[in-house]
Amino acid sequence: MAEFRLPANSRIMKGVTHAAPPGTRAVRTVRIYRFNPDSGANPRLDTFELDARSCGPMVLDTLILIKANVDSSLTFRRSCREGICGSCAMNINGVNRLACTTATRDLAPEIRIYPLPALPVVKDLVPDLSNFYAQYASVKPWLQTRTPVPADRERLQSKEEQERIDRPAACILCACCSTACPSYWWNSERFLGPAALLAAYRWIIDSRDEAGGERLDELEDPFRLYRCHTIGNCTDVCPKDLNPARAIAEIKKMLLERHS
Amino acid sequence: MPPRPLSPHLSVYQFKYTLTTSILNRCTALALSVGLLLLVYWLMAVASGAHAQARAARWLSGPLMKPVYAALIMAFCYHLVAGIRHLVWDTGRGLERAQAQRSAWLVVALSIALTLLIGYCAWLAGARAP
Repeated sequence: MAEFRLPANSRIMKGVTHAAPPGTRAVRTVRIYRFNPDSGANPRLDTFELDARSCGPMVLDTLILIKANVDSSLTFRRSCREGICGSCAMNINGVNRLACTTATRDLAPEIRIYPLPALPVVKDLVPDLSNFYAQYASVKPWLQTRTPVPADRERLQSKEEQERIDRPAACILCACCSTACPSYWWNSERFLGPAALLAAYRWIIDSRDEAGGERLDELEDPFRLYRCHTIGNCTDVCPKDLNPARAIAEIKKMLLERHS
Repeated sequence: MPPRPLSPHLSVYQFKYTLTTSILNRCTALALSVGLLLLVYWLMAVASGAHAQARAARWLSGPLMKPVYAALIMAFCYHLVAGIRHLVWDTGRGLERAQAQRSAWLVVALSIALTLLIGYCAWLAGARAP
């Protein structure tokens, strides 16, 4: 059942304000969700006032600046800083995106940063993604075959067959899409979510895979697949411009065709 | 260790065209279900004889009911057009980001236009009636 309100231990309290250094002419205000598991206190929203000129171009640069100069306890994930690892996915000004590919100049003067929505928070901007990864693993994201490998060559595919899976295979598992989906917010225990379903689709349409039928069997479930109500937040937020909504629609079509 | 807090969702997420068209579709469906009770009341009154029918007709044509009908017609039009959009989506078409953005506006515009059209026809019928 949809639980619209946050549990009591998750309500956000007023946080502390770190004023801008004296002599700052252009102030950039960044509000960041903070949660310290050791304090036992509720999460809070801290305000950081920064010298806009000292901030780098991307939101990730700003976070790194805060961690280096203002509050070293600020915790967030980051790695590649070029949108290929998916570590720095977070909710920035109300939309899930990668901090490293989001330019501060494209945002409103005030930046508000929260962890990815509707997940258990480990610390600050670091959510617990165990369930998300388990769901990804549950669609068996690897090649399954029944026939023996040809003796003289690999399992080949045509250029067109490869191009069909190019886009869905480019998913970086940042979880922006799944945690932008209201159906996933209310039913993350049972609904697989757009990222896992996109991965399932990628293997179903792979010309070399021979377990398409079983893969569809696994998905045919009121919750696992059909909790998708085509809201479209997934495709709207994907930082890699992939289309989980279309992948899910295609899976539903395949199931329908199988029944007719 | 105490349980981990849940990160905020509905309270922080931006209400974009995706969420807005979806929640409107559900709200209009709910409104139409409640509105059906009016129809049920009318049918029951008709079945219960002339006296009950006259009372229902008086009550249902009262001045306060007009805005209710207007809202129900609007809800019906929105739900119809949004439903057709969902039908198109279910064929796997129109799901790219830019297409979904355009169709969101199209749904709003078409449902308003359809509401006005029905309103105009109702007004014409009302003007012609004795």
